[in-house]
Amino acid sequence: MGLLRLDLSSFRIFASTVFEPDPGATTVIVGPNGTGKTSILEAVGYLGTGRSFRGSTREAMVSQGASHALLRAWLEVGGREVQIEAEMAKVGRSKVLINRQPARSRRDLAEAVAVSTFSPEDLVVVRGGPAGRRDLLDDALSLLQPSAGGILEDVDRALRQRSALLRQCRGRLSSEAEATLEVWDDRLGGAGQKLIELRRGLCHSLEAEVERAYQSLAGDDAQRVQMHYQCSAEGGLLDALRRARVEDVRRGVSTVGPHRDDLQLTLNGREARSQASQGEQRCLALSLRLGVHRLVTAQLGHPPILLLDDVFSELDPERSLRLITELPPGQTLITSAVPLPRQVEAASVVDIAQLRGHHG
Amino acid sequence: MYTPPLRNLVDELGRLPGIGPKSAQRLAFHLLKVPRDDAERLARAIVEMKDRTTLCRVCCNVADGGALCPVCADDRRDTTTVCVVEDPRDIVAVEKTGQFHGRYHVLHGALNPLEGIGPEELKVRELLARIEPEGVAEVILCTNPNLEGEATAMYLARLLSPLGLEVTRIASGLPVGGDLEYADELTLGRALEGRRSVREEN
Repeated sequence: MGLLRLDLSSFRIFASTVFEPDPGATTVIVGPNGTGKTSILEAVGYLGTGRSFRGSTREAMVSQGASHALLRAWLEVGGREVQIEAEMAKVGRSKVLINRQPARSRRDLAEAVAVSTFSPEDLVVVRGGPAGRRDLLDDALSLLQPSAGGILEDVDRALRQRSALLRQCRGRLSSEAEATLEVWDDRLGGAGQKLIELRRGLCHSLEAEVERAYQSLAGDDAQRVQMHYQCSAEGGLLDALRRARVEDVRRGVSTVGPHRDDLQLTLNGREARSQASQGEQRCLALSLRLGVHRLVTAQLGHPPILLLDDVFSELDPERSLRLITELPPGQTLITSAVPLPRQVEAASVVDIAQLRGHHG
Repeated sequence: MYTPPLRNLVDELGRLPGIGPKSAQRLAFHLLKVPRDDAERLARAIVEMKDRTTLCRVCCNVADGGALCPVCADDRRDTTTVCVVEDPRDIVAVEKTGQFHGRYHVLHGALNPLEGIGPEELKVRELLARIEPEGVAEVILCTNPNLEGEATAMYLARLLSPLGLEVTRIASGLPVGGDLEYADELTLGRALEGRRSVREEN
């Protein structure tokens, strides 16, 4: 699959622009910092996921002075041409059309425009709190497992309902409240257990891929990467919720569940979060994305569009080169403010100044 | 911009569900143009509806001025089967099937702690009070197939089962006359879970 053409209007600093990358090879967008290179990748990512990989709000993505941004893309997917059109509203509802039909879910989008993103912010997944690691797993699951989207929604909603009930208890558990709490335990226990099992299964299949990616990026076969899913609920979520009930009521929060779990990452037995060097952490963050990218490629039968945002400024030339050679073939869009490693072959190089000057 | 009475009306209309500021404005200006009689008829209809509509003392459906609702007033209905719904509008939907001949019970909502709705806010006590006097043998839990509706159904099932009556839950699955390929994966997944073996007599 590949992006043939992207039209943006009123998106970030682009009043109106047309971007035409090479659909089967690498396109590099060059230019100084702060000139809108990442915004191009952000737009492509938005079309595939319905959100910004930079974590920006729609309000921030729509140009100042405009109420709506319009993103239109033409893609080649398995020999067919697919058109995606997104109308992004500063406030209120935004909509996405796939071949002029409204997209019903994020999964619809992901199937039409699969993207994998690597950005300097990925470092947070390794160094930051557990939420980033849970998101990595959940985002990958939404791409890999058709049932994951519904399960994630149920878990989120059941958790919010249970937590609301716990707050209303104000530290005391009446028999009435207990009867209702049991029902929410059941809901959260059911959906939550399914999510935990999906995440465990993913960790299992991801571990080997991540290790392979890490070893080739680091150029060191001796590095062992382990991914261990740390579950807050020992021996079944439903039982754990029941056991935690008294404590949960006292504290007014759900103390066990998939929202309290973590993914422990170790390098040769050392905790990556606290004991690895910054270089190792960066390398591991990229390996995690690469591992997911490979699993998704196997599932789809073709590689998602790869978005590499400013990764070369973060890696030494050797690792940059290894990253490029590790990538499955397919369309790759790269932004760079620094010269590319010499061996990286770009089918086309686009100067961001040209895009900004374009009024089509 | 508006005179105070007009502003007032726009604000009131805008508080109705599904009515945004633009629609409220359009409705208000429409009412400004219609003859006084028409406007008065609307105002009277609203006030009369508020004054005269009460809840049926049996099933909590909407009823006219303290009377029983049309379903409970109909003595041909089977009193041993009760269909529990969230909202009076759901009765209309079930009645359209023509396949249910029992009575109803309206909960007026579903369990939803986020909105402060627990069992005390629903007509649960009223339901329990009906079981023995009416000789109810089966309760059909007909709440919505979403998280809150399912939780409510489970809550009621736990309360009712010890009373020694049959408690059933409506099935969920595919819309009749639809195409499999258009079903969303959640619905289709549920339909697969609830599959039945095919026998001659079916």
